[in-house]
Amino acid sequence: MTNKKIVYHPIPPEIEILAGRHGNEPEAALELLKEIQTHPSALTTDSISDAARALKLPPHQLYGMATFYSMLSLGERKKVLRVCDGPVCWLKRATMDDGQQTIVQWSSKAGGQWSVERTSCLGLCDRAPAVLVEVEQAGPVEAEEAGKVCDGWRGTPTDYSEVRKGEVRVMTSLIGKIDPDSIEGAMANGIYDGLKKALQTNPDAILTEIETSGLQGRGGAGFPVGRKWRFVANEKRTPRYIICNADESEPLILKDRVLIDTNPHQLLEGMTIAGYASGASEAWIYIRGEYEYQARRLEIAIEQAESKNLLGGNILGSGFSFNIHVHRGAGAYICGEETALIESLEGKRGEPRLRPPYPPQFGFRGQPTAVNNVESFCAVPHIVKNGAEWWRSLTNAPTPGTKVYMVLGHIKNAGLFEAPFGLTLREIIEDFGGGMEKGSKFQFALCGGAAGTIVDKTMLDVPIDFASSQKGISLGAGSFLICDQSVSPVAFLREILHFFAAESCGKCTPCRVGTWRSLKILNRMAAGEGQKGDIDELKILAALMQDASFCGLGQSVAIPMKSVMEHFGKEFARAEGH
Amino acid sequence: MINLKINGKSIQAEPGKTILQVAKEHDVHVPTLCYHKDLSPTGNCRMCVVEVKGGRFLQAACVTPIWEGMEIETENEKVMKDRKLTLELMLANHPVDCMICDAAGKCELQDLAYEYQAQIPAWGTKGTRYPVNSDPNPFIRVDMNKCILCRRCVLACEEIQGRDVWGVAKRGFDEIIVAGAGVTMLEARCESCGQCVAFCPTGALSNKMNYGMARAHQVKKVATICSYCGVGCQFDLLVKNNKVIGVSSNPDAPVNGMALCVKGRYAYDYIHHPERLVKPRVRKYLLEGKRKSDIRDSIAEGRKPKVGLSNIESPWDWVEVEWDKALDIVAEKFAETRMKFGADSLGFLTSAKCLNEENYLMNKLARQVVGTNNIDHCARL
Amino acid sequence: MSNSMDDIANFAEAFFIIGSNTTEQHPVFGTMIRRAVRKRGAKLIVADPRKIDITEIATLHLRHRPGTDIALLNGLMYIILEKGMEDKAFIEERTEGFEEFKQTVMQYPPEKAAEITNVPVEKLYETAEILASCKPTAVLWAMGITQHIVGVRNVMDLANLQMLLGNMGKPGGGVNPLRGQNNVQGACDMGGLPNVYPAYQPVTSEEARDKFAKAWGATTEAKVGLTVTEMMPGILEGKIKSLYILGEDPIMSDPDTKHIRHCLEELDFLVLQEIFPSETSVYADVLLPGVTFAEKTGTFTNTERRVQLVRQAIPTQGDAKPDWWITSEIAKRLMERISDRVRKEAPYAGWGYKNTSEIMAEINTVTTSYGGITHARLEAGERLQWPCPTFDHPGTPILHTKQFTRGKGKFMPIDHVPPAEKPDDDFPMIMSTGRVLYHWHGGQMTRRAKGIMQVYGEALVEVNPDDATTLGLNGKNVVRITSRRGSIEAQAWVTDRVPPGMVYANFHFPEASANELTHASLDPVSKIPEYKVTAVKVEPV
Repeated sequence: MTNKKIVYHPIPPEIEILAGRHGNEPEAALELLKEIQTHPSALTTDSISDAARALKLPPHQLYGMATFYSMLSLGERKKVLRVCDGPVCWLKRATMDDGQQTIVQWSSKAGGQWSVERTSCLGLCDRAPAVLVEVEQAGPVEAEEAGKVCDGWRGTPTDYSEVRKGEVRVMTSLIGKIDPDSIEGAMANGIYDGLKKALQTNPDAILTEIETSGLQGRGGAGFPVGRKWRFVANEKRTPRYIICNADESEPLILKDRVLIDTNPHQLLEGMTIAGYASGASEAWIYIRGEYEYQARRLEIAIEQAESKNLLGGNILGSGFSFNIHVHRGAGAYICGEETALIESLEGKRGEPRLRPPYPPQFGFRGQPTAVNNVESFCAVPHIVKNGAEWWRSLTNAPTPGTKVYMVLGHIKNAGLFEAPFGLTLREIIEDFGGGMEKGSKFQFALCGGAAGTIVDKTMLDVPIDFASSQKGISLGAGSFLICDQSVSPVAFLREILHFFAAESCGKCTPCRVGTWRSLKILNRMAAGEGQKGDIDELKILAALMQDASFCGLGQSVAIPMKSVMEHFGKEFARAEGH
Repeated sequence: MINLKINGKSIQAEPGKTILQVAKEHDVHVPTLCYHKDLSPTGNCRMCVVEVKGGRFLQAACVTPIWEGMEIETENEKVMKDRKLTLELMLANHPVDCMICDAAGKCELQDLAYEYQAQIPAWGTKGTRYPVNSDPNPFIRVDMNKCILCRRCVLACEEIQGRDVWGVAKRGFDEIIVAGAGVTMLEARCESCGQCVAFCPTGALSNKMNYGMARAHQVKKVATICSYCGVGCQFDLLVKNNKVIGVSSNPDAPVNGMALCVKGRYAYDYIHHPERLVKPRVRKYLLEGKRKSDIRDSIAEGRKPKVGLSNIESPWDWVEVEWDKALDIVAEKFAETRMKFGADSLGFLTSAKCLNEENYLMNKLARQVVGTNNIDHCARL
Repeated sequence: MSNSMDDIANFAEAFFIIGSNTTEQHPVFGTMIRRAVRKRGAKLIVADPRKIDITEIATLHLRHRPGTDIALLNGLMYIILEKGMEDKAFIEERTEGFEEFKQTVMQYPPEKAAEITNVPVEKLYETAEILASCKPTAVLWAMGITQHIVGVRNVMDLANLQMLLGNMGKPGGGVNPLRGQNNVQGACDMGGLPNVYPAYQPVTSEEARDKFAKAWGATTEAKVGLTVTEMMPGILEGKIKSLYILGEDPIMSDPDTKHIRHCLEELDFLVLQEIFPSETSVYADVLLPGVTFAEKTGTFTNTERRVQLVRQAIPTQGDAKPDWWITSEIAKRLMERISDRVRKEAPYAGWGYKNTSEIMAEINTVTTSYGGITHARLEAGERLQWPCPTFDHPGTPILHTKQFTRGKGKFMPIDHVPPAEKPDDDFPMIMSTGRVLYHWHGGQMTRRAKGIMQVYGEALVEVNPDDATTLGLNGKNVVRITSRRGSIEAQAWVTDRVPPGMVYANFHFPEASANELTHASLDPVSKIPEYKVTAVKVEPV
């Protein structure tokens, strides 16, 4: 193109080298951008264009990514301290303001070499209030402790080795019993026995076993795992892929982090069995960028498993070969949506794809792909080892097996536990959470996750499973945030909308503008400046987003909106100015 | 064939088609905005949502394939309400300047707002977020305030032109269309083909050269063929008050469809250039009955090459004459040359820029009237 | 073109583009190829010394030395034959002359081809592999093939390649020269050539002469006339005394400008019919104002033989007249003065055309391939590609499907001949010339387009970054380029589009036109000048 604006400019060697390390693969775009960001050249118009040329991608694609993922930013960059903006961290702050003050506090205490940013929920709700120091997780830490945090203090991790009363531990059974970084320890405790057993049966039998077990996906939608694998196995085309969705970015959810942190080999084993059953030979763990610590733990585990021939070529002489790669996200809730995740994995903006076709037909690189949640994979080895009947026998509830729950907020004993399906909110609070905090009275709970229902005390005794959302209380990914009388339902919904507006990908109109507009309304309502008609408008917007949004993100924003307005109509009416 | 129902009416359609395609075939109107028949459907704007019986959510007709037994409602209350609200969400953040917007009258957003009698909300940015006319490209006027993020420009550049200039940056409400890595269009290797303008449904991308020159209904469109290269693209000349004020894609063009290049779409202003020859001219010596050899020296002086365009206005004297005079001089001189030196002393250079009919006549003139085969044109050059 | 653009874009498994800067010179067809490669995954081989835009999406880019196309093609065909990848059935059934041709090709083993062309042997093998495995492959070329002293041989060798691969007469295959000007195809079809009447009926054919004598009431001698590149020197030799030029600008577009100026100076009488005063109008005695395409109705024929309707959109400007009217008026007045020549009773002796539709009706009767193409049919929306001999014929999108025009396709043994002008110590670099995306030919129209001039407002000469360093440009941007015939000064555009040792200049700007430097060495058959190889010296100014 003969246009003088296009100045001859060879790709700078430093970019060539970085891109070369990834074999100049377009799929490495996200990785490359992250590397350039920390490199002296930083992410600029020039460096992004150069990187695009090195990968033979359009510059707009890389620029679109650099401005899409929250962990990437343009321009020269200081060390970043990300202060969690999630609902639990918000609850833990005395002010419960919209977060501006917190940033000011942290900034003033952290010192000039740090750039302090707000970030959506870090998945450290059991360590709230939490921050991310560059890529290191810290919590609980307060703004007053910023100096200490910048010097390397990271707060205290939560210990889950103690079993709560009433727990049935399967996937969490080895917490505290093994060194997660030792494969020998894992193997001594039966990890990989499921795989060994699987390799001695045929893939179809494994599929049948998983189908019979009734295992449902643990990401929130509850789709039968066995059926999904069967779809993939039935596709003629190869290669087929397994993807583990470890993007866990929905506020209140932290189970995948704990499962990886405490027993990484269990996940690898489950994925390998999935690969064997569905005829896949390669897998990716898409883990959110904020879980760098867990990503490294997985990489260590993969290396160990390869050294024992539990991964790699011809596993244990079975003729079956399987490789697992770890891919880090870069800050985008939408990438938890499986097609957005695949887009992101392919080196693009994490925007959801059109469906159909669904990933089992047209997934990663257009090939048949099974995408499952961490917890789903973690259940698999136990089912294979002990049989579908055993899994079904764990509970009398209609949904078989156990579930990893999280209970958070104003309760005595916040954290994670494993139990069968069908618990009521009251059981979760009283039996597992140790009851409400001193001085706290139950007001409402956010059930499932940020996209779950907000319920009042009328729902305390409804058994919860994947089907209970019909009755108005959702299981989602299994998290329950319990709020007491001090929390304004209006301000709480504002926080939820703040999250969704920040995380909307922008692709479709209802979600892009609807979340933004809803947040505007809630901001003024929470500030005591509500206007007549606000509630109606929120209801109309919620209905539109639910009916007409492109993907599940937009569709589910309405769930907390509608439920909280239903249960707390009076509070909202007051905020509107009546 | 697949059996389905649209608005209660039973119809049959070929498998693999989308709801929108089937609806169109049966004259059921479904509004669209991000959809364009020449581009991959994306389902972004949600204007074409319809209700499918049994579905939890509304479905975008442009991307939803039909299935056996499907029952579709294209105009029930819920659908109409949602479409109208979606429009209003766009309008809230769109400038309210239709009165002076170049796109008015051909703006698809405006048409839909009218069709749905959408109310412009009191809230919203009303298009104050970005600089107006923000790109220095001499042909394409960019006003991202009017952008509704349908992404047709992105797809037109990627799928039609294969140039990948436009892309999507940021996310959520901040999402914006950018050129390259946030640079100007030309820096992003734009070829100024104007495909993005042709596909833009609003006034976000418009043509700079005729901005503000005519409303759509004031323009006469004349389908014709481009005068530049041999591809033979068809387009419409836009005519107002007997002047060509622009070129627009003609979707039915046999060779090129909507596609055109920078010359075809934008290099038309030579037509009304003030330097156009509008009167026959002859050299003064021809009127004075002199012979060329008599004035050799003054000719040589007049022809001395000058730098730049100026030397085409040669100072050795031109005289403007009426056609009869000029044509008689030409005929007289040719006849004289032929008589003196024979038919082969004349040469004819016809033109690859002219019509077939005109080339045929040049060939006939040389071969029939004069009797020489000395005819050629610049095919070799 | 033997095929249509859309069949090539839709069905070619691979494209072999040689000597065509398709995305800049036939931009919309270029985008069709881009789409085929990007969306459909068709393979693309580009042979061009320059890294033109389309090489960005090419499977392989062969950067051969200018003027070594035959060695390249023969080298590729050697490999195809060596590996037995030729289409034996096609060669057997549809062609002749194979053995003799093969002997010649066998003189070009890959090592020798690599040495002549500077294309590595491995790349030749990769290319041959793609050509042989992708059926059909479409061969596309433009002036990069024809503007050489061996232009015709280049074309024949490309035909050899396509016959060898059996790619003729199929959708997505064929030999496809991309014609430059909007109606260069039509100008040729209509007899705007010294050797043929309309529809390529040879002037030496008795039958043809007879046909036109009957139709027009007069005809010419059975003797081929002069080409433009012969007429110019013919002026100096006293052969040509008067010229009637319709819409052309030889000062800008012909080789060796200084020489052309000299020729036109010596002319007795020059009539120029134009829309703008041009460089050539300095030499004109009469300047007749014609009109633009927007001011007349008629037909253009595109590169794929598609005849399309041009419609008048605005009134003629000032006293300017449609060119067909002007030519008719001259003809009428000239016939009055040459009264003894034309037999008036002949059906088409007269010149009383009221519109171009009447002219087309006459064309229908004397031009078989246009026999059925009428304005009425085109106005009704019919899409016609010639040959279209009758009023109910649907037109012919692909030629040679069953057999070649001459029956069997003839393989021609073609040998490499080096370019006429070679670099030496005084003129060490090679200059190639051509157009750029934003401008058209002599630039008369595009230099008067305001926006175009904002993007590309001056002549730019492409210089390789290594050469820029060697020449000591040091950020200076004006260079002087000198050949044995002249010298120009222009802005340098330092870019790796050109390889070291080569510069690329255009002829859009009179103040720095590449044709001041080019030479008039012609292909012996086509009389096309060798624009693509001129020895030059480049200096900073």
